[in-house]
Amino acid sequence: MRAWAASIEEVFREAAARWTLIAYFALSSLFILIFALAVNLDVVNGALAGARLFGQSVNLPDRSIDIDRLVLGFESGFSGFLYLVGTFLALFATAHLVPRLQEKGTIDLYLSRPVGRIPLLLSRYSGGMLLATANLAYLIGSIWIIILWKTRVVHWRFLFGGVTILFTIAVLLAFAFLVGVATSSTGVSLMSTYAVFFLAAILAAHQKISAAMSSEWAAKLVDGLYWVFPKTAELGRATVSAVAGNRVLHGAAPANLFAVYGSTALFGLAALTLACWLFSRKDF
Amino acid sequence: MTTAIEARGLRKVYRSGLKGRAVIALNGIDLHVEPGEVFGLLGPNGAGKTTTVKILLGLTHATSGEASIFGIPVGDPASRRRVGYLPEGHRFPGYLTARETLRIFGRMSGVEKTDLSRRIPALLERVRLSQWSDVRVKKFSKGMTQRLGLAAALVHEPDVLLLDEPTDGVDPVGRREIRDLLAEEAGKGRAILVNSHLLSEVERICGRVAVLREGSVAAQGRIEDLTAATSRYKLVASGVDDALLSDLRGTGASIDRVNGHFDLTARDLEHLNALVDRLRARGAQLQELTPVRSSLEDVFVGLVTPQSREPRA
Repeated sequence: MRAWAASIEEVFREAAARWTLIAYFALSSLFILIFALAVNLDVVNGALAGARLFGQSVNLPDRSIDIDRLVLGFESGFSGFLYLVGTFLALFATAHLVPRLQEKGTIDLYLSRPVGRIPLLLSRYSGGMLLATANLAYLIGSIWIIILWKTRVVHWRFLFGGVTILFTIAVLLAFAFLVGVATSSTGVSLMSTYAVFFLAAILAAHQKISAAMSSEWAAKLVDGLYWVFPKTAELGRATVSAVAGNRVLHGAAPANLFAVYGSTALFGLAALTLACWLFSRKDF
Repeated sequence: MTTAIEARGLRKVYRSGLKGRAVIALNGIDLHVEPGEVFGLLGPNGAGKTTTVKILLGLTHATSGEASIFGIPVGDPASRRRVGYLPEGHRFPGYLTARETLRIFGRMSGVEKTDLSRRIPALLERVRLSQWSDVRVKKFSKGMTQRLGLAAALVHEPDVLLLDEPTDGVDPVGRREIRDLLAEEAGKGRAILVNSHLLSEVERICGRVAVLREGSVAAQGRIEDLTAATSRYKLVASGVDDALLSDLRGTGASIDRVNGHFDLTARDLEHLNALVDRLRARGAQLQELTPVRSSLEDVFVGLVTPQSREPRA
């Protein structure tokens, strides 16, 4: 446990030293500050009576705007933005964890300690996830508090929107670790993980793509790839829907919902297991 | 008493290229190091020294053979609880200070915080880094980094030390300090395995050595035994003329004048005594007869040059 804690601490120290942690929090803080200072709302009897953005009055339509609906609209839109940006930033800040560990002259220092290889890798993974969680909690929590301060509207669902984002980060970070173990390159690991994210999003339209395929095997390949890859598009929609208070996936039956989360979790689990297996067998 | 380090029939074959061409790095290494012993692992580049050390640490998996630390197989992380390692060309995280480095790596070795707060200042003092304890490692010179590496290897008070080029980049004063420190550690009963190119250092530090050549042990034993003279002597005598030299050579001895003395090679002790009798019988005055010891470098070069292929005990 001591070794695990030391390894996680080292992940945070490294992130701070590389400025990724500081830049990560500085950018988040800047966004929070701008949001807190730039938006001013006048709420009268649960309706928006006036609004000022960067000190300028915003023209409002004649009909009354329900503040609850306005906040909900903002929160769900923001969670969609956060799903994309938060995931990308988290991967950017953590993808180096394995390649740096495997550097010549560094790996010997870690593996010569009485820590198993798999616990060592998993402690780095935990450290990366804690880093992403801390930043996401800071960003979502701060925005939630500012909304509460400005509008007195409380939507607990907004706080829980981060869970799906974290789930997506966990799965993609597992893949980044696998590529990191195999190639020892942060660049390759980052690029391939982003590629998986976008390819998986494209594959969300697999039914249309496979229908357009001229051969049956190509159509099956597209469908097969869809089920192998994480469901990044669906998870993005799920994040927005969860915050908006709709059903988690628009028009998705419970079985599909399970398939989306289940198959994505399976991808992450397989990637992490493979990364552990490869790391434990590697000669350094 | 349990052997500290034991390796039996260690073999490592690397596969390279698309066709998986086999490269034999180790070809059946047998080693044993006892507690309190300083053991040197020598050999030219590519002889298998680093691979051997890496297998002992579980950094590299042996293709076949067995290795253990105090009876615990090296594949078990528990074996490393008793091992301190100083790798060659190590790179501690530059953003940590010396104190933080020892704290993090100490905790990774399972040392409690209270023990660390006691040990770290003492260790930093011991490797002369007290004044630099709160300076980031990236500002350290090579010698300072090496001394920090040594402190990190000792932070969990291991029973075995595996040191890869421990005096690399260290100035002569620092080298002496490291030698003294290693002698002190060996005195405490720690087994020390030193992997080095610096034969003069090894000769001063180690009691026993193994010379590796192309993945095999070419020679292993106590330095005194490996460098012991068996047939060469320095002879100082007067009254030795050319006729007497010819006579001695006639018995099969080799004798040459070298800087005011004679370099004499006899077949064995009996032959040597016969030569002395002959010298004295011919009126020569014997002043000195000393066996000539080889230096470790002589032995090393003799073992690793292509023409020498017979293993030595």
